[in-house]
Amino acid sequence: MDPFESIKATFFQECEELLTDMESGLLAMEQGDDDSETINAVFRAVHSVKGGAGAFGLEELIRFAHVFETVLDEMRSGKLPLTDEVAKVLLRASDVLADHVAAARSGGGVDEGRTVGMIADLQGLIDQDRANELGLNDHGDASGADEDFGFVPVVLSLDEPATDAPDVDIAALLSAAAEPAAATPTWKVIFRPRAEMYAKANESALVLRELARLGDVEVSLDASGVPALDQLSAEAAYLTWTIRLSGDKSEAEVREVFEFVEDDCDLTVVREGEAPEMAAADGAESDASASAVEAAAAAPLDLEALLARVAPTAEPAPLEIPPAQPVAAAPVAAPAPAPANLDVAGLIALAEKASQDHAQAAQTPVAKADPKVDQKAEARAGSGAATAATPTIRVDLDRVDRLINAVGELVIQQAMLSQRVFESGLARSSDVALGLEDLELLTREIQDSVMAIRAQPVKSVFQRMPRLVREVADMVGKKVRLVMDGENTEVDKTVIERLSDPITHMLRNAIDHGLETPEEREAGGKGAEGTVRLAALHRGGRIVIEVQDDGRGINRPRVRGIAVTKGLIAEDAVLSDDEIDNLIFLPGFSTADVVSDISGRGVGMDVVKRSIQALGGRISITSEPGKGSKFSMSLPLTLAVLDGMVVSAADQTLVAPLSNIVESLTPRAEDVHLIGGRDAVICIRDTFVPLIDVGVALGFRDTPLPPASGVAVLVESEGGGKAALLVEAIQGQRQVVIKSLEANYQHIHGVAAATILGDGRVALILDVDALVTTSRRKSPRIEKRMAV
Amino acid sequence: MTDTDANVAEVSLGQVLDLQAAEPLRAELMALRGRPLQVDASQVSRLGGLCLQVLLSARISWAEDGLPLRIEQASDGFLEQLAAFGGPQINFEPEGAHL
Repeated sequence: MDPFESIKATFFQECEELLTDMESGLLAMEQGDDDSETINAVFRAVHSVKGGAGAFGLEELIRFAHVFETVLDEMRSGKLPLTDEVAKVLLRASDVLADHVAAARSGGGVDEGRTVGMIADLQGLIDQDRANELGLNDHGDASGADEDFGFVPVVLSLDEPATDAPDVDIAALLSAAAEPAAATPTWKVIFRPRAEMYAKANESALVLRELARLGDVEVSLDASGVPALDQLSAEAAYLTWTIRLSGDKSEAEVREVFEFVEDDCDLTVVREGEAPEMAAADGAESDASASAVEAAAAAPLDLEALLARVAPTAEPAPLEIPPAQPVAAAPVAAPAPAPANLDVAGLIALAEKASQDHAQAAQTPVAKADPKVDQKAEARAGSGAATAATPTIRVDLDRVDRLINAVGELVIQQAMLSQRVFESGLARSSDVALGLEDLELLTREIQDSVMAIRAQPVKSVFQRMPRLVREVADMVGKKVRLVMDGENTEVDKTVIERLSDPITHMLRNAIDHGLETPEEREAGGKGAEGTVRLAALHRGGRIVIEVQDDGRGINRPRVRGIAVTKGLIAEDAVLSDDEIDNLIFLPGFSTADVVSDISGRGVGMDVVKRSIQALGGRISITSEPGKGSKFSMSLPLTLAVLDGMVVSAADQTLVAPLSNIVESLTPRAEDVHLIGGRDAVICIRDTFVPLIDVGVALGFRDTPLPPASGVAVLVESEGGGKAALLVEAIQGQRQVVIKSLEANYQHIHGVAAATILGDGRVALILDVDALVTTSRRKSPRIEKRMAV
Repeated sequence: MTDTDANVAEVSLGQVLDLQAAEPLRAELMALRGRPLQVDASQVSRLGGLCLQVLLSARISWAEDGLPLRIEQASDGFLEQLAAFGGPQINFEPEGAHL
């Protein structure tokens, strides 16, 4: 990828994160959060999108972002109060902004009418006089793109004959100090980065460059805090800049330049002539800047020593040095912005801007495109708008997969080795056996860590949903509140990528079919606003996604009627409520009388079900008429290595996932009863549960095992249903590597996957849910009926 | 260059002098102490604050040793960035000494 495209790709990646942040903030604002930090975070996000777009000349995007940003700025400054109405407009604006970003990315167009309408809505939030004042009604000047990067190289004397260099420089510096630039400096900015600023991949160079865009600048550097090389910590911060900025910019505009670094630097912005006050977060508390502070404190006292040390570099600043200010070097004038090459300047600016969060994202592709490793501030988990970023690394998925596979093999190999050692008759207390135990612990740790690399919070998918809900609700004229839980639940990346479609579909379905219209709801004694809850949770080593609405529930007679009409079931079929509910997953089933744009077109729940099954997942539904429905889909945390109970049945070695197992027991003959002469149930502490002979259920043999001669393993399915699996013996507990049957062979009912045991044989992993469900289908109400 | 001293050390700066380049650069320069130094800045496209510190620190160290330090063939990018930083002096030339 050429460097420009690569940087652009980084910009769009960053946009995704910014849009997500923005939406989180706006959603919080919709809930009434008018905290200035929240508003600031939203503003920053929009501003950053605009800034990046500027470098690429994405005019449409810039124009819209500018209007959006201006309105947010009004809010930020307290001129526009946060109301429900305002929040809703802003949310819609965020959708339009996202469209613009998407269009810019794909090179497509945006809905011009919608944009114009949205701009009008945004302007409507601000009174007209103010809008004119802000230039909102004139979109022409709205940019970052058409601003000059008012930054001019100053010819330095570095190429002068070396002997003369210091003298010449000092003379130049002195004259510059004595005669400030022609334009009267209005702002004096003292900028002292702390180590944290650099650690977060922010760059003082960028900040200075941005500042130079605001007007004529004179930059002076105080390097008096810099120690000699042997005492230098390369990542500490020793420098302080004093910038005199002339121009008609407001303090807010000046400070805006520092918005990404304000927490990690000491900053003073004063009008020239005013007494400077260091920012509240003055550096004293920061270890990293301690040396700079010390230098600053020492400066007035030990000026000569410092001067002697840095003599040819720095000259003492004019007499107006404020007490808190470190010795300032004489300024070098960098006036009169000359036209810069926009592309190059923009590119550099963007590269550096991107590095605000993506330390290497911007530069690695330039330096070396492959391996495409970059750092990324990903740790934005949590709700806070200003969450600290931790450095992360972006790695090719393929590499991780190879690693995971290798670790899987390692686990198998380790199990085989253990088995060999065990078979060789070595004592458990032997050094080899003990060493193997350590190896096993280590292997497990490696495995957990490797799996964690691929795990990501479902947040990335969930965060797209509020918009969907808003749009669908608007389209069908319903009022919907979306409640999301468990956004930080982690699941394998491959699963996440494929979650989006089913969730989208289920949400559309819930709003379109599940929820009633506001009038119907009110008539039914409910609030006009329906609630849809989207939740993610871990259960039994799987991830469960639930979509629940508080709507009308499934109209079973109607569903049944449709199924009969469409010939999906026989007219006289006797179906339980559950079975009727599950009819909606049949191919071709659609309850919508009028095929709607939202969830109709016959692309129904059967598609959802198929896509979930393809992931090795299941979907189930529970519904209560008048109260709503709940769809639960449960998906494996793919490639997982599971803890299993190794059992034998009909001479086969099988593995039951430990997460499903409640207990194991030896059945007594008198506890086992036959229902209808065929299906066995077992009484466990006064509750009857189906007793499933695994050997028979999987077709390994036809004759059931006499219950008393086997072991019953009580398992619980995801739906909460219990059953006892009858096997011949339990061999032990072991960690096994899952090898997909679907990927290597085909799906087999009752078998979730396979694994390779320590002795090299293949063992099937039981699909407990499928076994339990099958037994229930045969006799759906056994548990209830027989319960004592 | 009136090179009477064959002991002159030479170092070539990388293209991107950012956060990650700072410590390697410091280490590299440290290893060259005690000899006159020529720093080739022709490849530099980006100069960040941390590497600027390293260069300034090197200047102090070379000044302490009384040995010359000289930037050679500075690229435009290097010069521009140096100017934006306030144009600090990095070259050091002891009295009467020639590199």
